Amino acid sequence: MSDIDLHHLSAAYALDALDQHERAAFEAHYESCEVCRADVLAFRDTMTHVASSLAAPPPPSLKDRVLADIAVTRQLSPALARAVPTDELARRRRARSLGIVLAAAAAMVAVVVGVVAFTGRNDDTYAADLAHLMDQPDVQMLSLENQADAPGSFKVMWSPALGQAALVGENLTPAPGDKAYELWLITPDQSMAMYVLDPADDGHVHRMLDAPADPSAWAITMEPREGAAVATGEIMFVAEVPATA
Amino acid sequence: MGVLRSMRARHADEMIEGDDVAGHLLLRAGRGDQSAFAGLFDELSPMVHGVVLKVVRDPAQAEEVTQEVFVELWRLAARFDGTKGSARSWAATLAHRRAIDRVRSEQASRDRQTRDASHAVRDHDVVVAEVETSIDQARVRRALAQLSDIQREAVELAYFGGHTYREVAVLLGVAEGTVKSRIRDGMIRLRDELGGEA
Ligand SMILES: [Zn+2]
Repeated sequence: MSDIDLHHLSAAYALDALDQHERAAFEAHYESCEVCRADVLAFRDTMTHVASSLAAPPPPSLKDRVLADIAVTRQLSPALARAVPTDELARRRRARSLGIVLAAAAAMVAVVVGVVAFTGRNDDTYAADLAHLMDQPDVQMLSLENQADAPGSFKVMWSPALGQAALVGENLTPAPGDKAYELWLITPDQSMAMYVLDPADDGHVHRMLDAPADPSAWAITMEPREGAAVATGEIMFVAEVPATA
Repeated sequence: MGVLRSMRARHADEMIEGDDVAGHLLLRAGRGDQSAFAGLFDELSPMVHGVVLKVVRDPAQAEEVTQEVFVELWRLAARFDGTKGSARSWAATLAHRRAIDRVRSEQASRDRQTRDASHAVRDHDVVVAEVETSIDQARVRRALAQLSDIQREAVELAYFGGHTYREVAVLLGVAEGTVKSRIRDGMIRLRDELGGEA
């Protein structure tokens, strides 16, 4: 399976034994993967025992220097719980992003840039491809907003320069029998690229994709497993690419 | 055996108690309490400095990195999330990460000193710390002894040596995939021996 490589990096990650690219790729994965997150926490606890066994007090003068430092060091505010778009700005931004996607969805019949089924491809090289993608200077990452009353999350990373994208779906409800998740890449001129993903039988979708055009939004719908040139399902997940990105 | 087991059990209790102290102090530090942070330093600095020294080896650099780690702990204190592990575990993770960062950025320009880190520091706290540490050390030594040679070497080269698993593969002359799975197998075994339920 495509995610096995990444799952297997949790021990090396907890030992800080990944290079910076793999570290970035793993970090993009593990926060949303229950298995890896539990592994990392457990392995870190394990290594805390090892760290404790190495105890060697620093010279007493160090404490004075640290206390002098912190007296003039500003603390960061607590991280707020997952951002909820309660303010007007966020509400408007969300409305706008939905508007764009829905307008684009209406035009979907017009231009379909690509219809590509990716099921069963890329499994061997997924981790390396993802690491390569995360290494690109222009790589962008977006979490798609869950519009469905269903569990799960999608995150998309892409590099316009490389023309590739990675899609990571976690904790999804498997698609019913003849259906599959489909990803829509929406461009400013409202042409579309469409990717048939897979039914997420194990709750996960990890795919490398070609991204032939610069996206203005990404969306996920549920479609017939053989693929649909026109979106027939509700938009389940959506994210607009910020104009500055 | 019975003595050994009760010693381990007692020690495990002490670790948990120590964790609570650190977690409590960290929470207070997160609200700007500098004297709580001083207490946290007393609680965690032997471990933080110990792991940094083990990886970095040079005592002067180890002090610098330890200082950086504690200033970062202070900056981030309000963001500590007890559901993602204990305060001690958070500090150990940060200490190792910063030590690794130092080693990797220094690697190209400067050779690391190879003198034995464990004799680098001596002061009045050392004796107390050594008694506690020797119990930890015995447990960790025993746990490491349960690993196969290649598992142990791979884990030690990564954690103590600061090498990536690819570098470990070169050092051990085995395939990268082999090292990856040996590290994983070794860590699972260590976890079973030492504990590590999140
Ligand atoms: Zn995973």
